Amino acid sequence: MNRTLEHILPRVQKPARYTGGEYNAVVKDRSQVDLRVALCFPDTYEIGMSNLGIRILYGVMNEMPGVWCERVFAPWGDMEEQMRQEGIPLYGLESGDSIADFDVIGFSLGYEMAYTNVLNMLDLAGLPLRSEDRSSLSPLVIAGGTCAFNPEPLAPFVDIFSLGEGEDVTVELLELCRKAKDECWSKEELLIAAAQIPGLYVPSLYEVEYHPDGTIRSITPTHGAPAVVTKRIVQDLDKAYFPTKTIAPSTEIVHDRVMLEVFRGCIRGCRFCQAGYAYRPVRPKSPEVLIRQGIESCQNSGYQEMTLSSLSTSDYRRLLDLCDGLQEWCDPNGVSLSLPSLRADNFSWGLMERLQHGRKSGLTFAPEAGTQRLRDVINKNVTEEDILNFCRTAFSGGWSTVKLYFMLGLPTETDEDVLGIADLADKVYRVWREVTPNRSRGVKITVSTAFFVPKPHTAFQWEGQISRQEYERRVKLLRDHMRGRSTAYHWHEADTSVLEAVLARGDRRLADLLECVWRKGAKLDTWNEYFSYERWAQAMEECGIDPDFYACRVRSRDEILPWSVTSTGVSPAFLWRERERAYQGVITPDCRVQCTGCGADKLYPGGRCDAEC
Amino acid sequence: MTNHRLAFSKSDTAKFISHLDLMRTFQRAFLRAGIAIKHTEGFNPHAFVSLPLPLPVGFSSSCEVLDFQLVGPDALEDVPARMNAVLPAGIQVHRCYEALRPVKELAYVNYIVTLEYEAGAPFGADTAIRELLSRESLVMDKRSKKAKGGFTQVDLIPLIARASIEERRDTVALDLILQAQNPGLNPELILAAIRRELPDAAPDFATFHRRSLLDRSLQLWE
Ligand code: SF4
Repeated sequence: MNRTLEHILPRVQKPARYTGGEYNAVVKDRSQVDLRVALCFPDTYEIGMSNLGIRILYGVMNEMPGVWCERVFAPWGDMEEQMRQEGIPLYGLESGDSIADFDVIGFSLGYEMAYTNVLNMLDLAGLPLRSEDRSSLSPLVIAGGTCAFNPEPLAPFVDIFSLGEGEDVTVELLELCRKAKDECWSKEELLIAAAQIPGLYVPSLYEVEYHPDGTIRSITPTHGAPAVVTKRIVQDLDKAYFPTKTIAPSTEIVHDRVMLEVFRGCIRGCRFCQAGYAYRPVRPKSPEVLIRQGIESCQNSGYQEMTLSSLSTSDYRRLLDLCDGLQEWCDPNGVSLSLPSLRADNFSWGLMERLQHGRKSGLTFAPEAGTQRLRDVINKNVTEEDILNFCRTAFSGGWSTVKLYFMLGLPTETDEDVLGIADLADKVYRVWREVTPNRSRGVKITVSTAFFVPKPHTAFQWEGQISRQEYERRVKLLRDHMRGRSTAYHWHEADTSVLEAVLARGDRRLADLLECVWRKGAKLDTWNEYFSYERWAQAMEECGIDPDFYACRVRSRDEILPWSVTSTGVSPAFLWRERERAYQGVITPDCRVQCTGCGADKLYPGGRCDAEC
Repeated sequence: MTNHRLAFSKSDTAKFISHLDLMRTFQRAFLRAGIAIKHTEGFNPHAFVSLPLPLPVGFSSSCEVLDFQLVGPDALEDVPARMNAVLPAGIQVHRCYEALRPVKELAYVNYIVTLEYEAGAPFGADTAIRELLSRESLVMDKRSKKAKGGFTQVDLIPLIARASIEERRDTVALDLILQAQNPGLNPELILAAIRRELPDAAPDFATFHRRSLLDRSLQLWE
């Protein structure tokens, strides 16, 4: 271990985050590899190691002969200070080597508020922030993840964006990098060649022009780059790589358990949900494969908890088979199974009872909106009856904690919808009084509201976010109408949701804002300890950026959206139709009931979806 | 039922694994190794392991012990190799044996504290430290969760069984035998005393190594 590092680690909190050396971390011989990759997660170790995508890509890359992929996370402030003071550049956890000397630096982008960490990490690595200032072939800075579906705010910093699922395209890109390195290509040659690989977006090959009103006039590809880059998907998840032999962190992380991905995509079509659209079409794994991978993952990690993760796990048709098969092994081996992301309309209580082993912990459920009308607008096809039945069964079964999640500021929302949340909470309480076997134990109902952020590639991508004042008024309205001591109400502060709305649908010009706010000290913005809205407000002022232009403005159908160079496979025409249906309050059936022609089927070579999973 | 004990070392990157994390690491490692050990009862049963003498974060050690209870048919002599195959880098199990000696007989710990000086060890630092540790009493503030104000006072001298100090070119090595428990003396307090009482001998950096565990009569405890 590096001596300077050894000297600074005793001075920082949770030093085990910075050492590597965990069981199953991949250590290769430097002399036996010709391509070094830094897989960067722009948040702390505890968050990044909880990300299944990171674990998958780490495994995929390290399976490649001659490639050594290492992990890099954002250091906490105390560590960063020590690193800067002692001149330790950002290093790969496995080797301790400075990542500035690596061939490829890849970032996983999961949420907009981590953008300042991307800049900070590039700087900690000792690299120029902007792509144009990094003239040599390596390190090449790439980025993927959900946020890459609007790559524009980070466009000037990142050389290549990877759209969609990275399992295959990452391998193709690394092969190309190897070729470029062997044949001594220039960086430009590499970028032009990379743009020909489906799923790779090279922002520097596009020229963007603006109208005087600030909207985009044109986005012009150059050097033969495609006009629209469509995401990549893995066709057969049963055959895809899954990290059953994955790193067991030596220190506690956020999701310290086996995560088993039951399927990708979602059959539902919630109109606000970026993940729901961006990961289409739905592709399941077979229970047999899942059971084998789940058991192997437990055996290889020593975890005693397993969670079935997916956007809507209870939509998995063979969930019972899967749980039975897993439990057959899990029960005698003391491993507990948990199911997040359940829906109230297709929930199996028998299953829940069995999974809980008598433990009645809290139930979580997201109606998203307080009235049926608004739930129809957002296509959350869950009825009040579903919700109350769900609670009725839960309460009579002895559960006494329910958490309900909602959004405020959804398109067409009225005060009636806002008050509908309080009504619903009250109905839930009355159901409890009616059916609970034990009234003296009390009940705890928690209502949480988030501030709706319109996201790219959703039916609401053209919408304006309501103003902060209006949001705060609705929060107050709801707060004043929450009844009963048994109901607690939590709401999100507006600050980050406003910034998210700015960044999520931002264009390239926001890069200046990001750089400016980072220079003012912004980093770790997802953490209260570091976040300062004041700093962002000042930076917006200095850069002449009007947040309302990005967050609150309603876009017209023919406006060129900054992210229109990227495609999730779901067509803008379909999204617009969904928007219109939203305003008519008409629901759209899920993919299983009926294909409504979103376009994602074309991502399959055969052009057919199989939602019957 | 007999208790079993693992003797292991903790070095390099593993030095920074905290006490709680180390317990978790061993619990999971037993599962990875497929070695059946006794579990606690209750809602959330977990493998029962005990590290009788927590090692402060950042210390290396060649003499750690972990108590547990084998419940399966596994042979004691197979345990070290099977555990080493599934432990993080820097943790190495040397031996697995029946825990015959009770933890309460563990009386002293031998530490090697190395004081590092970038500009060379200051002249006379060894003598000064030797004199400091031979005083009648040396009272330091010690962090304490129970005490009011978060600190209590502790006299280090009665807790030091033996101290030998050796000056090298860039370092001063302290070979210390300190009381292990009730109360134990953390050698970091000795370093703090040096910093307070002998500012000229204050090192730029110090490493702490736990070398051996001893009983009342300063014989190896295992
Ligand atoms: S093409 Fe049809 S079935 Fe496939 S994801 Fe789109 S709407 Fe669903």
